Amino acid sequence: MTHEFYLWMSYGVFALAIAAEIAGLALRKRQALKAVEEERELEAQD
Amino acid sequence: MAWSYFSSPATFYRLARSLAPWFFALAALLAAAGLYTGFVVAPTDAQQGEVYRVIFIHVPAAWMSMFLYFVMACYAGMSLTFNTRLAAMMARAIAPTGAMFTFLALWTGAFWGRPTWGTYWAWDARMVSELVLLFLYIGFIALANAFEDSRRGDRAASLLALVGLVNLPIIYFSVQWWNTLHQGSSVKFTGSTMHVAMLQAMLLMTFACWMYAIGATLTRVRSVILERERRTRWVRAL
Repeated sequence: MTHEFYLWMSYGVFALAIAAEIAGLALRKRQALKAVEEERELEAQD
Repeated sequence: MAWSYFSSPATFYRLARSLAPWFFALAALLAAAGLYTGFVVAPTDAQQGEVYRVIFIHVPAAWMSMFLYFVMACYAGMSLTFNTRLAAMMARAIAPTGAMFTFLALWTGAFWGRPTWGTYWAWDARMVSELVLLFLYIGFIALANAFEDSRRGDRAASLLALVGLVNLPIIYFSVQWWNTLHQGSSVKFTGSTMHVAMLQAMLLMTFACWMYAIGATLTRVRSVILERERRTRWVRAL
């Protein structure tokens, strides 16, 4: 294996992990806002 | 204004919203400077060649894994002692980022170890104690979410976080206490044995990871606050 392989595997996975976390944060925020919206609708029905 | 003003989830939710983008922006700037210094300015290592540049992400990830665990345990301790809602939420928000940095420290360490030591993994005290840290993070996350009543989950996970604190000095001093494959620290409070450009790149990347971790935690804690407080009047009024 060349040194480039080890560098790409390290920096590539590092960047992927950061990207995945940011995507996860956005998804969780969307789900939390949706849950709040559902709660509001339930309250409006009552 | 009393510091306790910001311990209210409603106040902190708004504060986190205004602060998080700044931390992300700062992290991006520092990472750009760190990568430039690490790949353009820092010279090739005489013994390891180009592959040594893995340390510019490996060391910051390892430092952040321990630092974030310490901060998480402090919040867990505050949550248990003062029964504050926000402290428990902060501990929950830190854990996934801490786990990610721990995984990255192990992963990048493996890809640095293969060309330099000849192996991806060794049952070495530093590596095993770092792996235990990853299990502690996973245990914390699992325990926090294992209960129907989130406050019970907070208490159980907080206890685990505090017990797990004992692992931090083991990780840090493992290279001194045992004869390990992993080398000793190149950076100490008293100075460094590294080339100045290498040290600058490593520190810039460390600050970038630090700022990113704060930004990610602030963003996540906002979701945690919404999930936990969704039945409160202030959240419905958002």
